[in-house]
Amino acid sequence: MAKIVVLGAGVSGHTAVSFLNKTLGKDHEVIMVSPNSNYQWIPSNIWLGVGRMKRKHLVFPLAPIYKKAKIKHILAKAISFHPEGDSQEEKGYILVEYVSGDNKGKQEKVSYDFLVNGTGPKLNFEATPGLIPETNNLVSVCTYTHAEHAWHELDKLIQRMKKGEHVKILVGSGHALATCQGAAFEYILNIDHELRRYKVRDKATITWISNEYELGDFGVDGGVFNVFGEQLTSKELGEMVFNDRDIKWIKRAGVYKIENNTAFYETLDGVEASESFDFGMLIPSFSGHGFKAFDKNGNEITEKLFAPNGFMKVDADYTKRPYEEWTVQDWPETYQNPSYANIFAPGIAFAPPHAISKPRKSVNGRAIFPAPPRTGMPSGISAKVVADNITDMVKNNTMTASHKGSMGNMGAACVASSGYGLFRGTGISMTMTPIVPDYKKYPDTGGRELKNTIGSYGLAGHWLKLALHYMFIYKAKLKPFWWLIPE
Amino acid sequence: MIKTISKTQKFMMNCVLVQLFIFTYLNIKILFVVGKGHGGTR
Repeated sequence: MAKIVVLGAGVSGHTAVSFLNKTLGKDHEVIMVSPNSNYQWIPSNIWLGVGRMKRKHLVFPLAPIYKKAKIKHILAKAISFHPEGDSQEEKGYILVEYVSGDNKGKQEKVSYDFLVNGTGPKLNFEATPGLIPETNNLVSVCTYTHAEHAWHELDKLIQRMKKGEHVKILVGSGHALATCQGAAFEYILNIDHELRRYKVRDKATITWISNEYELGDFGVDGGVFNVFGEQLTSKELGEMVFNDRDIKWIKRAGVYKIENNTAFYETLDGVEASESFDFGMLIPSFSGHGFKAFDKNGNEITEKLFAPNGFMKVDADYTKRPYEEWTVQDWPETYQNPSYANIFAPGIAFAPPHAISKPRKSVNGRAIFPAPPRTGMPSGISAKVVADNITDMVKNNTMTASHKGSMGNMGAACVASSGYGLFRGTGISMTMTPIVPDYKKYPDTGGRELKNTIGSYGLAGHWLKLALHYMFIYKAKLKPFWWLIPE
Repeated sequence: MIKTISKTQKFMMNCVLVQLFIFTYLNIKILFVVGKGHGGTR
């Protein structure tokens, strides 16, 4: 009987454990180790952050779902990795620390035959001095507790605006190398929508600040889309949307400090500037969790498992090369650790070989460009690939991973919607194939297959976002035929 | 020069009938993009 341990109950971890339990659960042991007792559908945090949804609509307890599915759930956080075991434990194991109940604080070895690291990112607020939610007029929508606080603060701001006060709102990247511009983009559109709904839009100056070279880069080097029957670049689309909503923008900006409710930043031109705000939502940079790894004799082998940024090394090509020499072949296909074939890292937990957007430095040497996104669809798909490979390995007694899913050969859909309800909303929907542009295969269309790279702006995109919300929560709750819903 | 959204385009963006067609098209497109599968590159 094989023992498979999955770390992290986010999109990738929950997807992996669900499929592994479906395919192997009857005859093998599938265990979830996570410090979170709840699952949250993160994309809907945006609606929580503007007061249009409640926590109960996007957060639910995992215990009844795992109990029904007979998945063992250890409420603990990972402390260290021991892929070779030690003098007492033959198998590889994870040292975990319980976070609740009678065992709170107790450490335990959880051994495994296969390990899936789906721990996602650490929200690295500390990388930007002053970028702490609930200080400096700052909020965040990265977690549901953050998003609830964001709405509390936005509501207070709206009350001030109703009394006639003019305010400044700043949304975007909180670090020169931040990623997840899509979430910030969606939040700024929703703030604009809500202020119009409350009839106070004229009382606010809304500004977008980003490390993107052009609007609409989103960390994937932008794209070309078919919108309203004409081809638009993501830059043109972003500018059109912001211009239509009277949102100002600052691009090519690396925020390096927040102080006295002011963001200090440097642009690629080397210009030092600042922007004050009454309400700010700036996405932090992401990093790995800083786990350490040890061999059988207790010697540290962290560099065998993890890249310097703390994310786990997988089957990517990490050779340092200039942007012009990057290829889609650099990107991982199986998410398998090269040193330990029984360890995998899908979703945000894997160390990308490099950025997707062109890396740029300011004249003063500060690197200012978006890190590559791996949230949402790629997280789910890579987790399914990992689950399929482990299933094959267990059933066929092999260590070869035959299922592949490279971001250089994977399509994705992305929806940024504003508004709420059936008839009051606007969404930008995009599909792109592949996520990592393949400039050799598609040299004339921005590295993407144009017939599968489309954009739409309107009510339909908003409906799509609503449909995805209900569909993915249904799937995450493992309701009947959940596996038929694609990642 | 920044592109603008014309009045006709705004009407289309909010027209329920037109958007129903677009919604159906988007769903089919996304299913195709996802259903097309994924694989390696090497």
